[in-house]
Amino acid sequence: MRRPCTFATMRAGLFGATIVSLALFALSQTPASAQADGKVAATADSEFSRQLGELKKSFADVSRTIDESAKSIDTVQNPEQGRKSIEELRDQVSTLLNAVADNGEISVLGAKALSVADEKLKSLDRETRFKPDEKQYLVNRWRELRTATEAAIKDLDSARKDFSELLRSLQTSEDYINELMQIREHEKALQVIHQLSDGIRDASVKLKKLLGTIQPPGV
Amino acid sequence: MRPTAKPIAAAALLALGACDIGGGTGYVELRTVPVAARLPALYIDAEKVDAKVGVTVLRQPVGTAKLQADSGEGKVLLCQVVVKKNRITTVTISPLERPPRCQCERTGNDGKACIG
Repeated sequence: MRRPCTFATMRAGLFGATIVSLALFALSQTPASAQADGKVAATADSEFSRQLGELKKSFADVSRTIDESAKSIDTVQNPEQGRKSIEELRDQVSTLLNAVADNGEISVLGAKALSVADEKLKSLDRETRFKPDEKQYLVNRWRELRTATEAAIKDLDSARKDFSELLRSLQTSEDYINELMQIREHEKALQVIHQLSDGIRDASVKLKKLLGTIQPPGV
Repeated sequence: MRPTAKPIAAAALLALGACDIGGGTGYVELRTVPVAARLPALYIDAEKVDAKVGVTVLRQPVGTAKLQADSGEGKVLLCQVVVKKNRITTVTISPLERPPRCQCERTGNDGKACIG
């Protein structure tokens, strides 16, 4: 997730990235035989699961912030304060949408994990090394993994739809409030702000539901 | 280049990539109408978009992004999408038209979501 670049974030980012790069460098020095197909398959799948697990944790934090925002919007006394609250909320929702965007890392990993599972099932079909019951066991496990991956991708799709709707609703309300303030309709602007809290609570409920259903494959 | 210089250079790039150096992130929502229409290859700036039939939501750096289509005869500019921080810009594409066309919504109080 993107964040403003300060010296502290740069330093932390540089440190983390150095560790990652050194690990990648070390991996690149291992013999090619060590990077067999099986390893690639396991990596795509486990990386998707790991990132999905981390996403759940970060969503739980954002969910708490959204709940607090809904409460604070209820008590807003002037449109300017309300506009600031909406802007902060947009920032929170943007964090959520950033994580589940179609070109985001998790979506890309999900698609990769799914295609790896498909390839694996195809290659197992041609497999002659194992006994029939062993082969069937592997096929069943990969099918289960594929189904779980598909379900997780579906949850991400649904989250993407909800978050983009919420973001659009917030920006449209903000635009309307701006218009109202231009014609000095401050009371009406305040009404619009207070009405928003229902939509935010609804989004928070959806987010909690998602947190309950989303299941990293293989866990 | 010394062997250890490579990972350090890569680390610097990764660290920069994780930061938001410019004006932040916004979103482009691509909608295709009709939903069943076959999409040409789409590009936002130089990057190929893995667009889905229906709705695709892409994160994008704030600024103006070129949306291009390629039906096999080279890239054609469809429109320039205005991306604003923490905002979603919806662009509807009609793939049945030749060349495909963008329908731009209005955004904010200061103009259209896309140009073209």
